Amino acid sequence: METVLQVKDLTKLFRQGRGEAVTAVDRVSFSVHKNEVVGLLGPNGAGKTTTIKCIAGLIKPTSGEIWLDGVEALRHPKKAMERVAALLEGNRNIYWRLTPRENLEFFVGLQGHTVGKVRGYIDELIELFDLKEKHRTPARKLSRGMQQKLALACALVRQTEVLLLDEPTLGLDVETSYELRHVLKQMAAQGERTILLSSHDMHVVQDICERVIIVNNGRVVVDDRVTNLMKLFQVSAYRFELEGPLGEEQELRLKELFPLLEVSATGHRTYIDADLKDGTQLYEVLEILKDGSAQIKSIGHKEPNLEEIFLTIVKGQLK
Amino acid sequence: MRYLALFKAQLKMRYIYLKRYYFDTLSMIITMFLVFLIIFYGATALLGGATPTDSGDTLEGIVVGFMVWTFALVAYANLSWGMIEEAQQGTLEQLYMSPLGFGWVNIFRVAASFIVNALMVIVVLLLMMATTGKWLNLDVPSLIPLILLTVAGAYGIGFFMGGLALVFKRVQSALQVLQFVLVIFIAAPLGWLPFMKFLPLSLGTRLIGMVMIEERSLLQLPPGDVLFLIGNSAFYFGLGFLIFKLFENVARDRGLLGHY
Repeated sequence: METVLQVKDLTKLFRQGRGEAVTAVDRVSFSVHKNEVVGLLGPNGAGKTTTIKCIAGLIKPTSGEIWLDGVEALRHPKKAMERVAALLEGNRNIYWRLTPRENLEFFVGLQGHTVGKVRGYIDELIELFDLKEKHRTPARKLSRGMQQKLALACALVRQTEVLLLDEPTLGLDVETSYELRHVLKQMAAQGERTILLSSHDMHVVQDICERVIIVNNGRVVVDDRVTNLMKLFQVSAYRFELEGPLGEEQELRLKELFPLLEVSATGHRTYIDADLKDGTQLYEVLEILKDGSAQIKSIGHKEPNLEEIFLTIVKGQLK
Repeated sequence: MRYLALFKAQLKMRYIYLKRYYFDTLSMIITMFLVFLIIFYGATALLGGATPTDSGDTLEGIVVGFMVWTFALVAYANLSWGMIEEAQQGTLEQLYMSPLGFGWVNIFRVAASFIVNALMVIVVLLLMMATTGKWLNLDVPSLIPLILLTVAGAYGIGFFMGGLALVFKRVQSALQVLQFVLVIFIAAPLGWLPFMKFLPLSLGTRLIGMVMIEERSLLQLPPGDVLFLIGNSAFYFGLGFLIFKLFENVARDRGLLGHY
């Protein structure tokens, strides 16, 4: 498979005040294949935005290499910029006093393309993002969701090979977030763009990304396909269903063994969710439950979601 | 072709702003005009209408000086305040990602704003001449290169302050003060203090005055002065742009481009 984005040993130190340096990104390496959609995950301050901005040429890395479709971005920034567009965090990225069409046309010009040649594509984007009715309204009067859709359209209209999306659904209401997700999913399914997306919203990631890269403290901790991660965690995620409440002492003993274990109750039922590494741990749990009054109704594998997987990894349970 | 596309995009945006926000445009023209009236009639009352100066007549000199100030002010504001606005809006980073380079993006921005603002300044100038009855010589082929050269100095200062804004962010008060420093440059009494021609805008204003008031053409101006103006403008524009690039690099290193 053809690699269109490659990051090699990317490091960024930010100097603060006198001499002190904070490492935002620490020898991060990964690559993204043509038309692949990859999620970049990590807690706040993990270095996601810094990584994305380094790729976009907006932050100068301390060391490392960035290759965009065969071009070394740090040595040939202008050439690299022909290959990458970005939607950066926040409700901005567009001109508030221009209408959607004027914004799109401006970004075409900014890319050095002639508006006449891409008029068809501009119409297509206006259609796709439902901006037709509002095409005469200045962007500042559009709803927050519309603005974000327009910002995404403005990144797309640059027609670059690689698209960077930093928190594209941040601050959107549920409905608009869903709508934007739908558009992204459509785009990903068409397989016409290579996308690197960072998000806190695991629904977005689970919905559209084939692969995820998880960074923590500036370093890559996981780089795997979403389906593999799901499989890995499916084996170890158990759910116990009990009739009646769980004793206080039992709960304490369980939590001592499994700090991430979760207990919830609905009506007479108690549910225990735990990640068990192997069969012997299952017996340990059963041993503790045996001493209580509650009866075990069922034991099953729980369908994990990406959010839990992410939290488990970041909390250092796996690594 | 790619550069032409970029220039057209910038020009179109400036034009849309001017037209869509015609109320802003109109109120700016009116404000400028009112300020001019106050200065002009204030000076008339004070001077009794006749004191010899470098540019011939003081009152006519005020018209010329005010015109140059208007040009310089919009040039300067477009870069310095403009940069702050783009940073706040979050479009600065998008501009920065143009494959044609941030330098060209800004140079075309300057060119576009010059053309669009020239339309506005012409309106103010006509108003000034009509109310004062001082119809000055509008030798367009001589004036265009002179005005471009003169205002280049103001663009240099604009680039400098724009760069400063990228890194230090809170420069608004300095920006405001500088707007009035421009007046000092323009009103510099070169006959009395000739070394002031080393400042930006000063000599240019005087040469423009020679064309508009003394009705000379560009070719009839002292060649030494014209050459000096070219050097002076190239120096201030180049220096401002260079310092801007320097600050831009610092901002990129510290990750400040997107913050405001």
